[in-house]
Amino acid sequence: MVSGGKFLQAVHFKGVIMTFFFQSLLSGLLTGGVYALAGIGMSVVFGVMNISNFAHGDLMMLGMYMAYFAFTLLHIDPYLSLLLIIPTAFLFGFLIEKVFIHRIIHHPHQNQILLTIGLGLIMSNTALLAFTSDPKILTTSYSSSAVTIFGGISLSVPLLLSFVITCLITGILFLFLSKTTTGLALWATSQNREAAQLMGINVSKMSAIAFGLGTALAATAGALIAPTYYIHPMAGHTFLLKAFTICVLGGLGSVVGAGVGGVIIGVVESMSSTYLSSDWKDVVVFIIFLGVLLFRPQGLFGKKGEQ
Amino acid sequence: MKKMLVSIATAALIALPLLTNAAPVKIGFINSITGKEAQIGENLTNGAAMAVEDLKAKGIQVDLIKEDDGGDPKNALAAYEKLVTRDAVIGVVGPYTSGSANVVASRADQYQVPLLVPAAAKEDITMKGYKNVFRLNAPANIYSSVLMKAVAAYKPKTIAYVYAATDFGVSTVKTAQENALKMGLKEVANEKYQQGQPDYRPSLSKVKAANPDLVFLVSYDADAILLMRQAKEIGLTPKAFLGAGAGYTTAQFAQQTEISNLVVSATQWTDDVNWSGAADFARRYKLKYSKEPSYHAACSYEAVRIMVETASKNNTSAKLRAGLKAGSWNGILGPVKFADYDGFTNQNNHPMLVQQIISGKYETVFPAQFSKKKLVYPFTR
Amino acid sequence: MKQIAIIAVIAGIAAVLPLVIGESPYFTGVLISVLMMAALASAWNILGGYAGQYSFGHAAYFGAGAYTTMILISKFNLNPILSMVAGIVVACIIALVTGSIVFRLRGHYFGLASIAVAEIVRLSALNFDFTGGAQGILLTDVSLWGVDLNSKTPFYYGMLLVLVVTLGIALSLRTSKTGYYLQAIREDQDAAASLGINLAFYKNKALLISAALTSVLGSLYAVYIRFIDTSAVLDLRLSIEIILTAIIGGVGTVWGPVLGAVLLVPLAEMLRSNVIGDALVKQGMVSETSGLGVFLKENLAHAHVLVYGIITVLCILYLPKGILGLLGRKK
Repeated sequence: MVSGGKFLQAVHFKGVIMTFFFQSLLSGLLTGGVYALAGIGMSVVFGVMNISNFAHGDLMMLGMYMAYFAFTLLHIDPYLSLLLIIPTAFLFGFLIEKVFIHRIIHHPHQNQILLTIGLGLIMSNTALLAFTSDPKILTTSYSSSAVTIFGGISLSVPLLLSFVITCLITGILFLFLSKTTTGLALWATSQNREAAQLMGINVSKMSAIAFGLGTALAATAGALIAPTYYIHPMAGHTFLLKAFTICVLGGLGSVVGAGVGGVIIGVVESMSSTYLSSDWKDVVVFIIFLGVLLFRPQGLFGKKGEQ
Repeated sequence: MKKMLVSIATAALIALPLLTNAAPVKIGFINSITGKEAQIGENLTNGAAMAVEDLKAKGIQVDLIKEDDGGDPKNALAAYEKLVTRDAVIGVVGPYTSGSANVVASRADQYQVPLLVPAAAKEDITMKGYKNVFRLNAPANIYSSVLMKAVAAYKPKTIAYVYAATDFGVSTVKTAQENALKMGLKEVANEKYQQGQPDYRPSLSKVKAANPDLVFLVSYDADAILLMRQAKEIGLTPKAFLGAGAGYTTAQFAQQTEISNLVVSATQWTDDVNWSGAADFARRYKLKYSKEPSYHAACSYEAVRIMVETASKNNTSAKLRAGLKAGSWNGILGPVKFADYDGFTNQNNHPMLVQQIISGKYETVFPAQFSKKKLVYPFTR
Repeated sequence: MKQIAIIAVIAGIAAVLPLVIGESPYFTGVLISVLMMAALASAWNILGGYAGQYSFGHAAYFGAGAYTTMILISKFNLNPILSMVAGIVVACIIALVTGSIVFRLRGHYFGLASIAVAEIVRLSALNFDFTGGAQGILLTDVSLWGVDLNSKTPFYYGMLLVLVVTLGIALSLRTSKTGYYLQAIREDQDAAASLGINLAFYKNKALLISAALTSVLGSLYAVYIRFIDTSAVLDLRLSIEIILTAIIGGVGTVWGPVLGAVLLVPLAEMLRSNVIGDALVKQGMVSETSGLGVFLKENLAHAHVLVYGIITVLCILYLPKGILGLLGRKK
């Protein structure tokens, strides 16, 4: 026979456990939304150009600074500034491809990787010289506001907004790739570069567009996380390995896969900090990464034989 | 002939006591200008630059040779060896990070060139009995002990730790746990995290569920702001947030009034402390760099000043070491004396301060003899 | 035969170099870094250059050697040489586990998987207590058979010895059966497999040799500096630096990685210590108070990693086969 007090305690305890679980699940889901966008950008570049872009984190960092300066100098809300950031970043990526990456597109993988590492070093250290190493904090009126649902689970307002925007952008991107001529050409290039070329697709232009898209997506991810994170020349490095993991998890080149992959990584991180320990969560993510590589190298959403 | 004249002239210059300052004092300065600690490194650079200016105004010419270690002990060692063997400096100030400071300190007796550590916290550095290693700042264990002394009167019962998985984070929490044990505080949560993550909510939720009286935090830079934002978001309200130095002592953190109000932190220095010249230093620093000085800037200013002033009267490393050992100073960091106590050698027994953020401004609240304001306890939103 | 003679001559010159330059701890220190990076890049080259398996996680083996040695010396006061041998064993175990995972993968996947394994090793060292965690391991005194290990000389010759051994192995591999098989694997894995070459065996063999040599260098480094933590010996940056050295020098050749180290390490040190800026100012070519002077003295010191990045990009764009490739073309 359970006494009344103990029973109430047990109910309360169960309630705490449930709140705990959902709090962890939802905050992981929302953080995962931003990871997803970074992963999708990486995946587009990977798919079309077959390049591991190690400068992806640094491109994200540039997005953060763009959002910061749009907010502090032009007084534009970070979410609104995306309208400015997306085209600027696209152009920047397009030019980077034309000037640098284009020249080594037929070189071995490792040279491509090292080139992107070099470009990343140039970007982050130029930022260090220009903006100093003082982290910038983008404080909006809603930076630390939250809504409470189900009487105990709090959700960050800026992360919720970011999540909605991520879904929107992913949707638009999906439509672009599946419905427009350029999108279909990009998709064809990612399926088979040589065949696409034979069919009259300008594959070198497609590469530049893909890198522009990847850059725009990375910068968007940076801008979206800026209000809830801090902005620093090396800030992108945290997200680089996550973006790789997401992109492999979803299947190289798969937009939807990377989207889902991002959310999964967000939730896994959150759950492992809650139920395991926060200092081991990255290890859990890497073990999942290796597991996917070994047992399903085409990724969760890739077709067999696409590797 | 010309050569002879020159040497006579030089000899005359050296002989003239009034003009001994004409030859600049050559001192090395190892710092983390790049790398992970570059932000704090910049504060140290600024503090050192102001010291050089002030010394010049006093008629002491300084040749401060700056070396970057990027936070890497291997580079710090190369920098120290370059300074002492190639540049022939007679004393070195630095390095900033504890790892680098430990590696360089272990070589200082080999080269017999004094090293003055301005702001590295690890206890080891001055606990190995090195004759040539001096430290200005208080070591890691003081961060926690001074904070706990400040709140002891309010009889808190439970404590939770949230800290970065760094050397400073781990060492500080280790000493905090020892101090907590002495005070009879019960540990209810212990969350170590990897720096730079965007989401600390799961860790903070666990702390919230444990409902501690005190939350003891160690974070660098902007991680502090992130953690406190998310703590507000999930509604974590202990009786006090205790921040051990670093990220909780920056002007940037204080300016985030929505999340920083009433947060208590330990620091080596504040601008409202009644140490001579502290307020003036803060005012001039703000004018020059258009931002508030951190305690790192104050420590590096004072370290360079003490090193150069002592070196200007003692022109060899051996004399400089004796000068540092024997001397005592009074400046923006209060009274300074390098003493041997409690297993330390050449350690300045620096009293740390406890400050509390009240509407965006740091106010010194403990110990009573250095403060004008009283601690606000418990914490409220 | 000619190559062996070259190794002997260079080793001979290197062996007497400390006697010529005399007592200069700073230069000796830089030379130790050059020898270490040359040996690291050469060891990496056995796997990356000969077998074409681009590992981005060699820091794991370096760290395995460094950590094992430091733990055994600091906790059990074990002889440094024995600790080094133990380090080799640990590195080889990690290599076998890594190999069994990553060698099933190709191309991008291989590189990414090697990073993941190295990151797991790094995070484990950071989170466990027996590794010293975030605090790292500090040694105050080490001695070996009464030899004073505070001096740099033993480490200079130690690094030189490992480099010579590595080059010897690299050279003998080139003309051995294993070497030919590795090259076949590099050129076309499927063709190599259809010829009956046991891919897994030869890839693992190359990895084990490479990992063992890398771990010895890690052990030497740890005892030399007497302090290690994860950012010094297990960081991704170290893995990347090793590859850059090999590729900029000339990947897949015996001398490329050595050349890369001889050029890049002193360059990085010159940039770090800002000797170029200082020299220009000291020579009076640029006034200290002029805008350029201030930039050279103050800002260039902040920019050395930037310069390193620019050099990397230029090398990859204009010298894709490395400096040795350029020299080879001119001949």
